[in-house]
Order: sequence, then structure tokens, then C-alpha cells
Amino acid sequence: MNKLIQNEMMKLIAKKRLIVIALIIGVLVTLFTYAQYKQVQTQREKLGTSDWRTILQQQIIDTTNRLSSSRMQDEWKKQLQISLKQQQYYLDHDINPAEPGAPTFMRIFLENSIDLFLPLMVMVIASDLVSSEHSLGSIKLLLTRPIKRWKVLLSKYITLCLAVSLVVAITGILSYLISGIVFGFKGWGAPILTGFNVTETGLNTSEVKLLSLWKFLLMDFGLVWFVSIVVGTLSFMLSVLIRSTAAGMGVMLAALISGAILTNMVSSWETAKYLFMVNLRLTDYMKGTAPPIEGMNLSFSIMILFVWWAAALFVSFFVFTKKDVY
Amino acid sequence: MICLNKNVIRSITVIAVFFCLVWLIGLGWAVGEYYAGKPENIPQTNTVSDKVENKKGLTIVALGDSLTRGTGDETGKGYVGVLIDEIKEKTKRPVQLTNLGINGQTSTQLSKQVQQTEIGRQIEKADMVLVTIGGNDLFRGGQGLADFETGDVAAIEKKYLDNLKFILEEIRKNNRNANVFFIGLYNPFIDLDQGKEMSKVVRHWNYDSAEVSAAFPKIVFVPTFDLFELKVNDYLYSDKFHPNTKGYRLIAERVASLLTW
Repeated sequence: MNKLIQNEMMKLIAKKRLIVIALIIGVLVTLFTYAQYKQVQTQREKLGTSDWRTILQQQIIDTTNRLSSSRMQDEWKKQLQISLKQQQYYLDHDINPAEPGAPTFMRIFLENSIDLFLPLMVMVIASDLVSSEHSLGSIKLLLTRPIKRWKVLLSKYITLCLAVSLVVAITGILSYLISGIVFGFKGWGAPILTGFNVTETGLNTSEVKLLSLWKFLLMDFGLVWFVSIVVGTLSFMLSVLIRSTAAGMGVMLAALISGAILTNMVSSWETAKYLFMVNLRLTDYMKGTAPPIEGMNLSFSIMILFVWWAAALFVSFFVFTKKDVY
Repeated sequence: MICLNKNVIRSITVIAVFFCLVWLIGLGWAVGEYYAGKPENIPQTNTVSDKVENKKGLTIVALGDSLTRGTGDETGKGYVGVLIDEIKEKTKRPVQLTNLGINGQTSTQLSKQVQQTEIGRQIEKADMVLVTIGGNDLFRGGQGLADFETGDVAAIEKKYLDNLKFILEEIRKNNRNANVFFIGLYNPFIDLDQGKEMSKVVRHWNYDSAEVSAAFPKIVFVPTFDLFELKVNDYLYSDKFHPNTKGYRLIAERVASLLTW
């Protein structure tokens, strides 16, 4: 088994996928860092101050004014009200919600890449793990060896999990190093609030907890990793089912993008909450924003993702061990 | 296949396993913390920290309702924006504006707003404070026109004056030196049937507001009633309530003429 994993690992590294992914992440992080830097600067110019309390207070007033406009969708209104209350809570407790520094950048980057960007990167690795063996013809060599088929597939799956862990780690390290050059490397101990409960009546702040940013980040990374593993497993399944890598990637891509679109408009279609792609934004629960569909919470989303994960894994192994190879 | 060093692959695998475990711990912790973690008591701050900063330029705080916000001005500036532009031009100093105006704000709401810690801190930093309030108390967004009875207005006005006194006290408590300009009301309905009666109420309202302001040092009541007395419709936005760009310019120029350096 160990040998098999080593073998798969070698194939993965020889394909240089990880390096390509690292490059993509590096370029994107650089872009975002620059964008963020520009945004901070224009904001500073506009308000004439770098004092975060003034900026936050101004944001609160601006949101209040937007809320007073009568032509506004109810949902959007509710989300604004929640973020308004949260901002006021931060201000009342004298905590900067976005302490400048690389760790905060990492947090924002993770929160924004959890539902599309990182799954895409994972897909790049996962979607041809099995199907490429078909197109190269090497699957026959692999299966004619005196090793059980499920062991072959398991070694591939474990390699996938390891690769996903590496991708998440690369994301963290690169975003820290690159953004740190601009924003500074400090800020791990900055306080951050979690435990905001979004209920039907609005935002419940009675269970709010104060955390250090590094703890919060570790949790965020755990959630990001979980999402990546689930998406990776689904692409893995498609890679087993569909011989063509391009077709498998296309299906996964469509699912992910539809998820990003759906989260913005599903609130009236309640059963959509059982789709995996609507449940990808796990970090939002930590931050305390309104879920896309009422009644969703962290454990619900994790359960749904877990079910999809288990089903995908089962299908992969079932099909792979039964399927004829020619 | 490219021949790869076995040790390289082994070490990459080990690193991957390590991160896999770290992320797994993170995941477990996240779920645990989300459910089991007990809420802490996070202290509210009432102390005002780091007072002196950005003292190169002028700091101006604008409080109040939609007039402060600039509703009705196509350029979005409002009288505050126009005034700031003028000050910048005259003094050649950087000006930092904090516009805290909220559409539809009444004097009751403003008296709550000025009690907030952060608002207090903003006022404390200010070199100048601009206030518009009362329009929504009296006119209630145009509604006041329909059910305007003198008896009713007297009760509303009394409440308003109490609030105003409280607001100005709060401002003075936080900042003893800044000049405060309190902008009076104009009568947007002057051209309508009941315009004359309405004007009387507004004049009375303004007089009482000026009286309250006069009790405080360095609080200047700025009348705007006369600015809109003739040809009111030239200076009103299409809602016939808020000033338009020209109307805001009038108010800004009046305030600008009062500034001293």
C-alpha cells in the first residue's frame, strides 16, 4: 500500500500540477493584494483618515442610509441589517473587524476562495486522476498487477487527499508571504469575534466569543480543507465514471459555478439546500452572515457535504471494482 | 517518466500528511468551538482612546437628517459637500469630513445617536460641527401638511426642543471648543394653499430653535427660511421637499459666510 501511494505521489509530482497550481495561486494573491492595497488607499483618500473607527462608523451610517431606501429586496435588506448590527457590535466593543496585516488578508482570501477558487484548483488535480490512466492506456498496466483493484483506487484517493492538503497549505503560505510584503507580517493575535447567530428575527449576539486571529484562521483552514476534500472526492468520482477528463471537468465546473449563482437566488427554493454546491461557504457561519437559505447552519452544511462525500466515495469504489477495462 | 529522487517524494508525502493532520484538527476545532464554546463576556468600551491623530487638517463632523446626507442633490454632495469644497479652496488645508447624517432621522433618533461612544469620539475630534435636524419632526416627510393642526404642532415642537437641547448639550459635553452650526428650517410648502399658515409655524419653530442654541456658547443658528422664501420651486428637488443642487449651494454659501479662521 505504501509503495502504491509513493508511486501515485510520484506520478502527481511528475505531472507538475502542484507547481502550476502554486503559480496560479501566487499570481492571484498578488492581484488581490494589489487590489486590496488600492482599495485601502482610495478609502483613506476619500475619508481623509486611516482611523478604522472613523471608517467603520462611516460604513455604518452608509449602510443605514441604504436601508432607508424603500426600493430594496427583503432578503438583501435582511443581510444588510445583519452586517450593520455586526459592525455596530465590533465598534461598541472597540475591536477592529479587519486589523491590517497579512493574517487578515489570509482570512478574507480564504473566505472568498472557499466556494469557487479553491475547489477549482482541487479539481485540476482530482479530475484526471483516474481518467488520465484511461487516455494514456496505462490503466491496463496498473490493473494487470496482482493487486486488488480497490487498493489501487484507494492509493489514488489517499494521494488526492494529501494533494488537497498541500494545495490548502500552499494557499495559506503564499497568501501570507505575498500579502505580508505589503501589509506587514504581524497581526496573528488580533481579536476577532465569532458566534454571531443569525435567527429569523435578525442577529443574535448573546453567544459571541472573542478569539485570536490565529485560532480563527486555523478553524477557517479546517473548513476550507473539508470543502476541498468533498469537491475533490466528487471530481474523483466523475473521473472514475467518465473516461474523458474534459467532460468530467466540465460537469464539475458547471456544478460549482451554478452553486455560486444559486446561493444568490435560492432563498425561496428551500430544497436547494440539499445540493452540495449551495453548502460550500462554511466560513460564513464562523463569520456570522446570513445563510443563503433559512435554517441552514454549520452542522447542517457539514452533514450535507459529508453525505455527498460518502456517496461519491462509494460510487467511485463500486464502479471501479466492477467496471470492465478494455 | 522523469526520474525523481525517492527522498524528495517521501518528504513531500510527509509534509502533506502533516498538513492533512493540521487541517483536520482545525476542522474539529471549528465544529467544537461553534457548538461547545461558551460565550464570553466581552467588555464594552466607554473609554475614548487615542484622541490626538490627524491634526494636520481640519476635522468636520456633520450630524442630522437627509439635508446633511445631501438627498436631492444630483451631484450627491449636499450642502456639506459644497461647503467642504469651499473650505478646502480657501484654507488649502486637508479637510476630513465625517458625515453622520441619516435619511429621515428625527430629533429623537439623533439624540440617541449622539449618545453612542464612537459618535462622541468623532465629535470630540471635530474642529467644526454641522447639524440639521427637525425637518422630519415637523413635516414628517410631507405628511405634516395634511394633518397639521396648531395644537398638535405645539406638542411636537415641545418634544423637539427638549431633544434639541439634549443633543446640543451632548455635543458641548464632548467638545467644548468647536464651532457648531445649526441649520434652521425652510418651508418647502410655501407655494401651496396652506403655505402661509405653514410658514408661520416654521418661523416660530426656527425662533425657538435659535433660542435654544443661544443658550450654548459657540453654537450658531443659521437661518435658511429666507433663502427659500421667493421662487421656492427653483431650489427644490422633484420631490418638492428636499433642496436641489442650487438649493444646497444657497445653504452652503450661507454657512460659508459665517466661518471665521
